[in-house]
Amino acid sequence: MLPVKRSRPILAVAAVLALSGCGFSGGQPAQESSAAADTSQRIVVDNFRAPVADWAVESDAAYILSLSGCLETLTKFDQAKGEVVPSLATEWKQHSPLEWDFTIRDGVKFQDGTALTAESVATALNHVLKATVPARAFNSKIISSVSVPQEGTVRVTTPTESPLVPYRLASVNSGILSPAAYEGERTNPFGHCTGPFVPVSEVAQQSLTLDRNPDYWGGDVQLAGAEIRFITNGATRAAQVQTGEADISMSIPAASLSSLENADGLSVLKADSPRTATLYMNNGRAPLDNVDVRTAIRDALDLESLAASVYEGAALPATGVFASSEPWAGTTGEAPKQDLDGAKKLLADAGYTADRPLEIIAIVERAEFADVAAVIQDNLKAVGIPVSIVTKEYAAAEPDVIAGNYDMLLSQRNRLIDIADPAGFLSADYTCSGSYNLSHFCDPEYDQLLAKAATTVDPEERYSLYAQAGGILTEKAVNVWLVNEQATDAVRNNVLGYVQDPLSRYVLTAQTAKTAS
Amino acid sequence: MFPFIAKRTATLVAAVLVSSFAVFLIPYFTPGDPVRTIIRSRVSGNIIDDADVQALSLSLGLQDPLIVQYFSWLGRIATGDMGLSHVSRTPVADQVLPALAVTLSLVAAALALAVLVSLPLGIVAGLRHGKPADRVITSVTQSFIAMPEYWVAPLLVLVFALKLSVLPSAGWSGPESMVLPALTLALRPISYFTSAVRAGMIDAAAAEHVPAARARGLSVPQAVLRHVIPNGLVPLSTLVAVWFAGLLGGSVIVEVIFAVPGMGRLLFDAVVNSDIPLAQGGVVLVVALAVLVTTLADFVHRALTPAVEGSYA
Repeated sequence: MLPVKRSRPILAVAAVLALSGCGFSGGQPAQESSAAADTSQRIVVDNFRAPVADWAVESDAAYILSLSGCLETLTKFDQAKGEVVPSLATEWKQHSPLEWDFTIRDGVKFQDGTALTAESVATALNHVLKATVPARAFNSKIISSVSVPQEGTVRVTTPTESPLVPYRLASVNSGILSPAAYEGERTNPFGHCTGPFVPVSEVAQQSLTLDRNPDYWGGDVQLAGAEIRFITNGATRAAQVQTGEADISMSIPAASLSSLENADGLSVLKADSPRTATLYMNNGRAPLDNVDVRTAIRDALDLESLAASVYEGAALPATGVFASSEPWAGTTGEAPKQDLDGAKKLLADAGYTADRPLEIIAIVERAEFADVAAVIQDNLKAVGIPVSIVTKEYAAAEPDVIAGNYDMLLSQRNRLIDIADPAGFLSADYTCSGSYNLSHFCDPEYDQLLAKAATTVDPEERYSLYAQAGGILTEKAVNVWLVNEQATDAVRNNVLGYVQDPLSRYVLTAQTAKTAS
Repeated sequence: MFPFIAKRTATLVAAVLVSSFAVFLIPYFTPGDPVRTIIRSRVSGNIIDDADVQALSLSLGLQDPLIVQYFSWLGRIATGDMGLSHVSRTPVADQVLPALAVTLSLVAAALALAVLVSLPLGIVAGLRHGKPADRVITSVTQSFIAMPEYWVAPLLVLVFALKLSVLPSAGWSGPESMVLPALTLALRPISYFTSAVRAGMIDAAAAEHVPAARARGLSVPQAVLRHVIPNGLVPLSTLVAVWFAGLLGGSVIVEVIFAVPGMGRLLFDAVVNSDIPLAQGGVVLVVALAVLVTTLADFVHRALTPAVEGSYA
């Protein structure tokens, strides 16, 4: 049993509340009890995924290590500020167009007692670079090398100039473990993190148990420990937080929302997620190569009804390629309204003849897409566009879609899957040479904007370029962005200091606390 | 006896070979590239670089001809080495053995519960054949067949976890966490077991030796206890074995809903993720255990009904 520090709980809670009130981080704080934190409390978090790849940092398992307060990165992305802030690195600067230097924080110790040094950071990052299945944010195609030019400094070199290196080092996949974690073939995080919680035991496919790190560099840890449960079934996560078996349940399914919103003793938190359900249209094949036909399809759809019916309020009508709360969204205004007369006129002007039904592929990985497709089919029928629906696994649909042998595809995409910046998404999905350009869209003006953004260091200026690029996609009606999904978590009211992160990277922190009842 | 054991051993080997080869082929006969599926299971997202696919394929030996891959696996399994998971790169044995232990506990609990419930119900229904008690028991237990696990499980959670707060809604942390998943799994076996015991009781009661026993001076309860019930239970041993074998790999829905880290869930994930070594390792264990259990059931059946012995030859 680790010693329990009962240190300044009231001050800590006050600090947490103050920080939350100031918008210290993104998302929504839970409705908090006025009672004081009890530092002997432990917390249970129901997470929606289990580590499938052992604990390899380059895999999605890094999300679990990060949300559980074990794994930390050199930088962190502050959702509320929309910028990268210090973590294990205190500062960073661009040493040359291709080199970024990060100053490593003094006084940080790994949980095995060894000191965090520039060398240990370089060992960790180089381990990720050598992975057979590379991380999206940090791999050898994007990063040339990681070195230690001088004591206390880590230098990250890129093959081309990139202002996004600090963002890449905020990715959970570039988390830092002590060198001892990489001895042998497997990655062992036990005792090798720097975070506020120390993993002490794991039950495979079931849970990870952690205790407080009494020597945490970031201040006193307010909880005695935590259990992260891996529960893939959404209804089970909802039931556990309702019964009080779990204190926090991540990613609540739409079907469970109403019962939780009416339940006592807990709060349901929602935030815009970077996931947008999208009706991809093949811009390279008739009749969808005509912008008027694509615009008519957008105008024919009733997005508000779609969000309210199929998504049961767990998603909002999309205003464009970005969620309106994203710092690069620009002035996106409201979601497009259904305009059947306008759509019919556009189709007539385009000379559209319904000589064949257009096919929508609805991927089966998202169960709701079959219903979404049916709603779209009905909406389009009203303007004279016949539609047939096929359901397929994504893997089965992908070759035809990438080859351009399709009409429309219902799918969903996470814009920030690699880093907290949409550069990768906008480039891969919509530039002429994009590796994931499912829409087969090509516009030189758009490509120029993206190329300029790729070398723009100032975030404000870069975000403005993204907004302009998004405007082109909307103007050309490249796709129909249907609904922005909401990240929905449920939190018991005796949990203090919980701030929702739409990307589920940060859940347990030193400030997370719990009252006795 | 020896021919029987030899025949069962051959069955075991054949079953392992056929099932492991079928599992091995699944990723190659389902849409999409198995290597891309493996990558997506490790790193979520849609975009995959072709160079990464090539590198992983080479690293896992997936560029070899299928038959070479299969016989390579077979050579390893013959020495007791289940190999490494394609997805986690950890030993398959480290994953399947704990999962098998969990599922064995769950299935044993479910079948014990089913036997405990169905025995008295089946006996009463058989002895009261055609009477109201028989009709009530039969109609209630038969209705269990129509209750799918994905419907029963949330209902039990609603009642016992959410409303009554007497049992945990999910997890695998103690005897109390076993109750709801075991009860969910037990419902359909209860139906079949009750039906089998009932039918066995009716047949046994109608057998010639029962009136003979009565003629020798046994009372009705004595005749029932000594002749009807033992003979009426014979079909149950085989049925329990069959259900045991089926539930070993077939409890995936219950395991997912109740977050039980068992074999069904492990096998399902392995197939979905194209994790061939993990799926093969799991299937080999499940099939071997299933054959052993059904063989054991045959021995029990033989002990209960000596007349069957001749059929083993």
